[in-house]
Amino acid sequence: MSIDTDAAALRKIPLFRGIEDQKLRLLAFMSERVRFDAGENLVEEGDFGDVAYIILSGQADVLIDSNSGEQLVATVKENDFVGEIALLIDVPRTATVRATSEVVALAVTKEHFFKLLSNFPDMALEVMRALAHRLERTTREFGRLRASVTNS
Amino acid sequence: MERSLFGFIWRYSKRQQIVILALTVCSFPILYMTLELPKWIVNDAISGSDFPKMVMGMELGQIQYLVALCIGFLALVVANNGVKYVLNIYKGVAGERMLRRLRYMLYNSILRFRLPRFRRVSGGELIPMITAEVEDVGVFIGEAIATPAFQGGTLLVYMVFIFAQDVFLGAAAIALFPLQAYIIPLMQKKVIRLSRERIINVRAISERINETVSAAPDILANDTSRYHLADLSDRLFLNYRIRLAIFKRKFMIKFLNNFMNQLPPFFFYSIGGYLVIRGDLSFGALVAVLAAYKDLASPWKELLTWYQTLAGVNVKYETVVENFDVDDAIPAERLAGGADAVVDLPDTTIALHSVSASAGGSGQEIIDVTLEVNPGDRLAIYGADGSGRTELVMAMAGLLSPIAGRSTLGGRRLDELTQQTIARYVSYVGSDPYLFNETIRSNIVYGLKTDPVNDDQDDLSGLRRAEAMLTGNSLHDVAANWEDHSRAGVDAAEALDERLLELVTLVGLEGDLYRLGLASYAFERDDPDFRDKILKARADVVRQVREDKSWKALVALWEPKTLNYSATIGENVLYGVPRAVGTPVWAAASDPNVIAALAKAGVDDRLVAMGADVAGTMIELFSDTGADASLIGDYSFLSAEEIPQFTERLRRHKAGEDLAKADRAAFIGLAFRLIPGRHRIVTLTPDDESRLVGARSVIHDALKDDANYALFDSGTVIPPLSIEENILFGKPRVDRRGASDKIDALLRDTTRALGLRDPIARAGLNFNVGIAGGRLSGGQRRRIGLIRAMIKTPQVLILDSVVDGDRPLLARVLEACGTTTVVTGTADPKVAEAMGTVAAMRDGRLVARGGWDSVRNIAVYGEDDDAREREAS
Repeated sequence: MSIDTDAAALRKIPLFRGIEDQKLRLLAFMSERVRFDAGENLVEEGDFGDVAYIILSGQADVLIDSNSGEQLVATVKENDFVGEIALLIDVPRTATVRATSEVVALAVTKEHFFKLLSNFPDMALEVMRALAHRLERTTREFGRLRASVTNS
Repeated sequence: MERSLFGFIWRYSKRQQIVILALTVCSFPILYMTLELPKWIVNDAISGSDFPKMVMGMELGQIQYLVALCIGFLALVVANNGVKYVLNIYKGVAGERMLRRLRYMLYNSILRFRLPRFRRVSGGELIPMITAEVEDVGVFIGEAIATPAFQGGTLLVYMVFIFAQDVFLGAAAIALFPLQAYIIPLMQKKVIRLSRERIINVRAISERINETVSAAPDILANDTSRYHLADLSDRLFLNYRIRLAIFKRKFMIKFLNNFMNQLPPFFFYSIGGYLVIRGDLSFGALVAVLAAYKDLASPWKELLTWYQTLAGVNVKYETVVENFDVDDAIPAERLAGGADAVVDLPDTTIALHSVSASAGGSGQEIIDVTLEVNPGDRLAIYGADGSGRTELVMAMAGLLSPIAGRSTLGGRRLDELTQQTIARYVSYVGSDPYLFNETIRSNIVYGLKTDPVNDDQDDLSGLRRAEAMLTGNSLHDVAANWEDHSRAGVDAAEALDERLLELVTLVGLEGDLYRLGLASYAFERDDPDFRDKILKARADVVRQVREDKSWKALVALWEPKTLNYSATIGENVLYGVPRAVGTPVWAAASDPNVIAALAKAGVDDRLVAMGADVAGTMIELFSDTGADASLIGDYSFLSAEEIPQFTERLRRHKAGEDLAKADRAAFIGLAFRLIPGRHRIVTLTPDDESRLVGARSVIHDALKDDANYALFDSGTVIPPLSIEENILFGKPRVDRRGASDKIDALLRDTTRALGLRDPIARAGLNFNVGIAGGRLSGGQRRRIGLIRAMIKTPQVLILDSVVDGDRPLLARVLEACGTTTVVTGTADPKVAEAMGTVAAMRDGRLVARGGWDSVRNIAVYGEDDDAREREAS
């Protein structure tokens, strides 16, 4: 357990992919390592949160509240990024993430993240690039979906 | 108060002045003898003859005679200096006593100011007057009479001597005295005027500084710091100008003085010389006169200096006193206190008959108000700010005197009742009650501290009393017991605490107090019962943490044999904390005792290495990345200034050089700051852990008698830790988000179950409220003011906007008050509605009185329905 291993985990997150090693280590140093027991919620749907988690070990379910109770929509595991939208904008959590085994995660708060971005503008550029990639992919997928809907 | 300095000196220090004078006169013969004896020694003893001599019936040979005279000389020297010593001390004592008396009188005058005056004078002006400005007066007082008497006497003697030699030369010697006596006061007058300006200017500066402190948020918000700098700079320039003008005149006076003192010798040499040559004057006489004149110059100079000091001190005294000696002061007897000062009133009816009063400004007055409040009434005085509401409330409480009309309490004029009587019956809480920089408890019982409880026994004794009598100061002992429990309706201190907590609950401060109590350090008072309860709570919590999973996930307990990952390495190694509250544990690394203990435990090298790792990481993370100062300040262990120093230390450490003690201590300090669970800089091997934990016992042995450290022990309370930390005996786990908040909730249950809520709330009573209660919110301050008023069990409770916006609080207060009259000034219609009757104020006039429904329109909209209808038709 050291900031080097945490920085290595950060490196695997697409959002941070282009960021220099040293700065990732700084982000790792500023972040907290937290632990959740099985059954504990990392985030809760509807809450306003300012933390994103990078799961270092363990597994968790992503659940969405529906009329027929909670519905499992996905599971997350090691090196997955949970609640990252909270780092960028203030929106209520869109799903509940519940640990199914003991989870160790790296908590990155909005405050720390923004402080780093304002300190290192090139880091912001990298983040922007990562987001743009994601947007581009989403748009492409959306187009394809729309095409398949109109075709059918 | 005496308007002139000499009036003051003569009235209060006649005796001392006479003693000083007498001592001065006493020193004359001794001084004379110390000059005379050497002559005898030379003439009689050394070069004398016809021995043996008879001295006091003893026959002395030459050597013996010499020895006797020399011993006599030595004795005289001692006596001379002894008298001087006594005289100087006595002068100092007399001056200091007078200074004490003066300051006391000035302070007393402030207490007697009527409240409207405080809108015109400020602390910023009053403080320098009482502290700095009168200081010189004290120094001068010892010299006031003795110097002119002594120097004047000497001068006179020399003058007589000169005149006896030759009338003409005598006249020449003093020819310029009248001129000096005329010109110097003339010039001095100008200096006096300038000194006055300077004093007033310095006061203005002091006032500006005072304002700056109070207005700090507004200055920052308006960005007016440059304006204030320019303003102060201007004042300082004025100060310089005045001082320069004073200098010029002062040294001009000196110049003239010296010149005129040198002039007579000119006449002596020229005219005297001429007379000697002519044979009209003997040569011996001229020499004698010259010598005498030389002696004459010194006392004359002293006298002039004395005069100049007098003039300076006098102007200071007058400029101070004129500010305190005001015509409209509250008569001293109304504030004097004493057993007979309280008058029993037949009832507590407050009646105002055509009362007009003003608090100073426009919109701060009441005009022709007639109002009666009978015992047990509930009256709201409704009005917006500036309607005269506050002034009416203050007039009813006897705090604002009527300009016209009559205000009475129980049929007696409020102006004529002593304040002691009024305060006994009436409690008043303004909209922003002042809290002193003390604990909450002492701020509440403040209302009970009007006189020492045992009037006779608790007075000062011994030296304190004697000095107080000599200086007209207070004879009450401030350290005596002033808390009059009987006024709170209880008979013992414990019962008073119960009552305090009841009132705290009544005004809704209980939750706040509990939180303050948890965070407080309440172990200074040795209360074994409380300690036991805390330890019991600790045992309970520790048991729960061990057994209950939800607790275990939140708290990392202190265990003697395991490393606490949620605490700093420093706390872990010391297994204790510095005893001074607020000292970080890493400060211990600069203590040689700690370093020695670490060395003995064999962990110092490992800690140095750890510290070096931390330094290396910090430099890499913050310095090499080019992080800016805010990032470094918030997260780095090293400040931006320390980084270069540590870079150098690190270089030497890496090169394997021997580090200086200070460098090693610095590295250990860094290691001490590390919280292993949070800062994942250093990986601790199991071996590291066991060595660090193993070091604890060695360090405990070394530090167990060291008063600077409080060592952890599950069986004792740790004074430098707060009550909460003591109960927890561990740390909120750093790897759990929000552990602290959840612990709060869990603790609440434990403390309630153990009956600790009250003791902890009681510990909260010892919370220090900060300057002017700055560490509390406005609402909390008002509530404490309310408790302060209610603890006295008054028969009339007068409030001003204390309960606005909180009707439940009002309801509880009304219920608790029982038959007590309650009057509350308010701008809140809901509060007005809840009171029995409402008096509506508008533009300083009482415009309506009755139930809320009947006065609502006129109170809120300024006109009643009838008037509106009339207008419409």
